Amino acid sequence: MAEYFVARGLPVPPELRRTPLTDWRRWSAIGVTLAVLYVGVRLLDIDLSRANPQYAGTRIISLLQWDLSILTPQNEFETFWDTAGGLMIVTIFLGVVATAISIVFALPLAFLGARNIMTGNPVASAIYGVARVLFTVMRSIDVLIVVIIFSVIFGLGSAAGVFGLAFHNIGVLGKLYSEAIEGIDPGPPEAITATGATRFQVVWAAVLPQIVNPFISFSIYRLDANVRLAPVLGFVGGGGIGQYLFQTINLFQYNKAGLIIFMIVITVAAMDFASAQIRRRLL
Amino acid sequence: MPALLEIRDLVKIYSRDTRALDGISLDIRRGEFVVLIGLSGSGKSTLLRCINRLVEPTSGQVIFEGNDVTHARGLHLRRIRRRIGMIFQQFNLVKRSSVFANVLAGRLGYRSPWRTIASRPSREDVALAFENLERVSILEKAYVRADALSGGQQQRVGIARALMQQPQLMLADEPVASLDPATSHSVLRYLEEINKTDGITVICSLHFLSLARRYGTRVIALKAGRVAFDGKPAEIDERRFKEIYGEDAVEVEIGVARTAEEQRADEARKLLDPRALSDAATDAAVVERLGPGADR
Repeated sequence: MAEYFVARGLPVPPELRRTPLTDWRRWSAIGVTLAVLYVGVRLLDIDLSRANPQYAGTRIISLLQWDLSILTPQNEFETFWDTAGGLMIVTIFLGVVATAISIVFALPLAFLGARNIMTGNPVASAIYGVARVLFTVMRSIDVLIVVIIFSVIFGLGSAAGVFGLAFHNIGVLGKLYSEAIEGIDPGPPEAITATGATRFQVVWAAVLPQIVNPFISFSIYRLDANVRLAPVLGFVGGGGIGQYLFQTINLFQYNKAGLIIFMIVITVAAMDFASAQIRRRLL
Repeated sequence: MPALLEIRDLVKIYSRDTRALDGISLDIRRGEFVVLIGLSGSGKSTLLRCINRLVEPTSGQVIFEGNDVTHARGLHLRRIRRRIGMIFQQFNLVKRSSVFANVLAGRLGYRSPWRTIASRPSREDVALAFENLERVSILEKAYVRADALSGGQQQRVGIARALMQQPQLMLADEPVASLDPATSHSVLRYLEEINKTDGITVICSLHFLSLARRYGTRVIALKAGRVAFDGKPAEIDERRFKEIYGEDAVEVEIGVARTAEEQRADEARKLLDPRALSDAATDAAVVERLGPGADR
């Protein structure tokens, strides 16, 4: 086959010179991967000798033997909002409120972080840079760490959870929104500018109509993610049902923990399904 | 009578080596239908965009109705812009908005930002929108989303939007480059009509010399950012054509090739007023009235 190229004095394409089995790059890639895994396993010192299958078996069974008493108030001091069901609802709203707060802040910031809006003068470019760095910083700190920091400020409980989750989410939504703004068709804004409209009118008439759908879609996606994150926040002091789950596990109340975990799974699955349906219909 | 638009030594340098405009000086008088021709990259779009400052010229001056456009800022610049309408090759409509909303947007230069968001359009603006939609024979499409229209219809919405500004000057950046020959004639006839009836000066860039000869009262050819020809359409002969487009260029007619079936269909429409018809029929009827050789 190579003779076609040789006869015309052309270099032989590499596809004809190599066969997959003799390609040294392929073998070296496999070799490097195996070496990295070997070093990793040795460093981690994975020790299976402490595993106790009999103990684990009984615990797993008790996770499935649900203690339904947590679904009803247990004494005259408790109300519905102290039961697992009440706490689950509180936790869902923790995610909802956090998302709402983050949308309120991310929406205006996103325009400041969109290259195509912030053009024309050095001040605008500088604001653009600051907004972008802000998004990256807010996004790069993991939610759990943010909530731990916020629980120092606000004390343990829902405040730390809501504000921590919102803080992280402003970074995520700000980036998603501003990239949606940067992805618009530049033609309509150009045309509206030519009519003698102000920059604000251009955004209102030619940019907003183009970004409504992506904005709704991203917001629902983050609402879904936040409701999924909310139960975990309780583990680090963010309030809600997570705090209750953490307690029951520490007290070895696996019958209660099992039911709470099941409730979280059902909620997350329902949320996941609903958000997928809404976003599919939107696009 | 002073010129409507004066352009003095206009230069636009994009990066170190690309001089898009290399010292353009022109006087455009009221009522002219100026056709800009030239190869792609000769500076037609840049020149049009420097007139309303969508592109910032590097040096030189643009004077519109006695106002120095090149040094205008803020409100003054917006006041100048609203007297200059513009239509685009890609139409630049807000696709998700209705035709009516798109046309009303042409009036934004006359409304305060506050009224843009807080109140409904005024009675006068709505009346004007109606009038302009009717003018480009597209009133029945007012409620439809802009992206549901054909290319020719979208361009007519673009014209209606520009007319909302009640402009003195209409800039058209290759308005028919993404349309078929029949629709091109239809769109250009609307431009010709506003030029003749309202006396709106038109500066329109085109690719086809045959269209330039048919619609222009004056042809300006650009070559590498300089004026290569400026005169009457009829003065462009073989030699001038080769000067503008290069030695190897061959003139292509924007012909109207039609099948026997289409011709029979046109016969049937011949007696009807084209304005009363739907878009496709209007385009075909306009071509019929012009005839295949009418643009020579």
